[in-house]
Amino acid sequence: MVETFPPPGYIPVASAVDGIEVFMPAPAKTIPQPVSFEFKCPQCGATTFFSAIEGSLTCPNCGYQEELDKSRKGKLAQEFEFTPVTLERSALSQVEGRVDLACQACGALTSVPVTHLSHSCPFCGSNKVFQREALQDNLRPKYLIPFSITQKACADISITWMGSSWMTPRGLKDKSLLSDFTGIYLPFWTFDSVTNAAWKAEVGHDRTERYYQDGEWRTRTVTDWRWESGSVNVIIDDLIVAGTGKLSSRLVSQLIDFDLDDLVDYEPKYLAGLQAHLYDIPLEKAWENGRQQMREKTKSACLEQTSTPKVRNFSMDLDFASESWRYILLPIYLNTYRHASKSYTLMINGQSGEIAGQRPVDWNRIWLVIAVLLSPGVALGLLGIITLAVAGIGVAIGGIGFVMFIIGLAASLVILVQANKLDDI
Amino acid sequence: MNNEAEPWFYNLEAGICEECDWGFLVPVSKFPDKCPHCFRKPLSLIGENAAELPILRPPELYLPFELTDSKLSQALEAFVQGIPFSPQDLATRNLFNRLERLYLPVWLVDCRIRATWQAEVGFDYEVVSHQDHFTGGKWISKQVNEVRIRWESRIGRLDRQYKNIQAAALEEHHYIIKVLGQYAWQNTQIYKSEIINTENIRLPNRSPEDAWSDAEAALRAKTAEECFTAASAEHIRGFNWQPEFLEPNWTLLLLPVLSSYYIDDTGSKIPLFIHGQTGRIAGTRIASMKKARTVSLTILLVSAGIFIAGLLLAALSATLPILLACAVLGIALALLLGLVSVIPVASVWWFNRNSQPVRV
Repeated sequence: MVETFPPPGYIPVASAVDGIEVFMPAPAKTIPQPVSFEFKCPQCGATTFFSAIEGSLTCPNCGYQEELDKSRKGKLAQEFEFTPVTLERSALSQVEGRVDLACQACGALTSVPVTHLSHSCPFCGSNKVFQREALQDNLRPKYLIPFSITQKACADISITWMGSSWMTPRGLKDKSLLSDFTGIYLPFWTFDSVTNAAWKAEVGHDRTERYYQDGEWRTRTVTDWRWESGSVNVIIDDLIVAGTGKLSSRLVSQLIDFDLDDLVDYEPKYLAGLQAHLYDIPLEKAWENGRQQMREKTKSACLEQTSTPKVRNFSMDLDFASESWRYILLPIYLNTYRHASKSYTLMINGQSGEIAGQRPVDWNRIWLVIAVLLSPGVALGLLGIITLAVAGIGVAIGGIGFVMFIIGLAASLVILVQANKLDDI
Repeated sequence: MNNEAEPWFYNLEAGICEECDWGFLVPVSKFPDKCPHCFRKPLSLIGENAAELPILRPPELYLPFELTDSKLSQALEAFVQGIPFSPQDLATRNLFNRLERLYLPVWLVDCRIRATWQAEVGFDYEVVSHQDHFTGGKWISKQVNEVRIRWESRIGRLDRQYKNIQAAALEEHHYIIKVLGQYAWQNTQIYKSEIINTENIRLPNRSPEDAWSDAEAALRAKTAEECFTAASAEHIRGFNWQPEFLEPNWTLLLLPVLSSYYIDDTGSKIPLFIHGQTGRIAGTRIASMKKARTVSLTILLVSAGIFIAGLLLAALSATLPILLACAVLGIALALLLGLVSVIPVASVWWFNRNSQPVRV
């Protein structure tokens, strides 16, 4: 077979049978990683950081750039199966507590939550990325999407977004208020599965029938219920579920439309100067959320097969197959601003620039607009009443006033609902 | 293995049947009148000395006969029963009295193997899956653990001695095993010439060279199994090896079989084999058409007689009308018996048509 045995790249393993030697391919060499990484410019010693424009580690002082390995893994990034051991270890991983950290540059001691992967010293500004211990290698982040939107672009996006609604206060469009975005890599789980479902339901078919009552022929709608059944197979690829519960799930869900083709291997350099958090929602809990979404998607697919939308006694059996998961970091910009003694959060997708957030509502303006909308109807109505009383000709004016009042009321209601929605987030 | 004072074949002579071409080593003292396989012709002696037969190797192991007379009788009884109009000669007693004990050979190869190998070995592991059920507006979720196989590449080296790897010594070995069933190897015993040399032993008709492909396949399968055991795995696939077979040694394993026969309508001897451990019988079961025809003819004659009597009674009824009823009854009975007379011949034809021919 080969001249020398074993060939290079193979290592011996224990054999359970005398007279038989067994060799396996040597596992890829794991270079011992330091517990933490400091990012300093090799030319001038200043602190370097990841630049979203250049896509490299950049020194703001001398302009030095260190290229990063940008080979994209995309959707081919490795996925893992749900083994009982992984689920157990994921739940056991430390998700709470803090660690003390001594800055190697200035010696300052700061306390950092254990879920934080990176840190900038508040005293000297040096950037640090940690290698947190995980009970299993695949429970460390292995892939991430690098930031491709800059902080400056975030300010522009947020100002445009704030200006897109007349309901927000004028002062919010102030650039200084919206320029303080923090780049943060948030933990996410991605899930794949094929859902095989068999469903059964009574489906209603409406028909019109004539009947005779009280001396005349009438018609009525009757529903005939018939049992129907079917099966669906839904392939769900890379369903993204948040791995942190620290941020508004409503906002996060509006931003998770990431293009996973941009996934690259995790590299601490991508985190330089940015924040990064580890998961605090363990795999099993996130998978529960993911399964919930998958089964609702599958249920919708089943309901699409019914011959009419009228359905009762619906039941289905769902079998999940080929389930797999991945743990990734995704780039998000975060800005918390204050207005009228209240805090509001803005989040921007660091890959696409999509924005989601909370906007305060200028209620004075809302009430003014509502007053303007209702006043023509009220004025015409009053005029109608007066002219009716004085000259007996106000019916038409009153009628027009009534119609305008109703229109104004409807428009006001729509505005109120939208404003409430805006204020609620 | 055998008596050191005497060669292992000291009491045996080699003979061959010119009818069925089966060769035997038979005891000098009990040289059979007829071939113990086909029972048609006597054996012709071949050579003076069994050791001169180029194909022969000494037996090493044998499986003893384990059938008691009562178990044997029961098996023969079961074979004889259920045959409509069985031949006159097909009786338990006849089969029992004609029993001949013989041993069928299987090659045993001892060999040392030096090899390098490569394969993918499989390790079982569990994954968690889910099966959900939706009814009454609620989801019920059930966790299911599934076993999957993780395949990993392994290579290795092997230097081991293998003993008693079996290979067919008869061209018809696989057919015989198919019709008689497998043997239980746990009772294998060391060959003893004083016990075996009083029995008929079938001579191999496959040389070790011919049987080597079987032995090599068995060795490969055995080695593959040991390799994944060595790798502490549960499965293996894509096993590939570069073996070197050293010091091969060929001996024989003897399997116990009983033979007997019965004579059919045409006077032909129909041989049958009986598994020496389980009593399972392989042989063609033929019903007697001759017997069936006789019965059919007898019924037909009786039917004809009744018919004629019926006709006579019908003629006489012209004078004595009461006889007409008897005549009608008689003719109807005759027609019925005429139909029944076909049954014996038809049933034998049907039985013989569906009876699986077994050529041992």
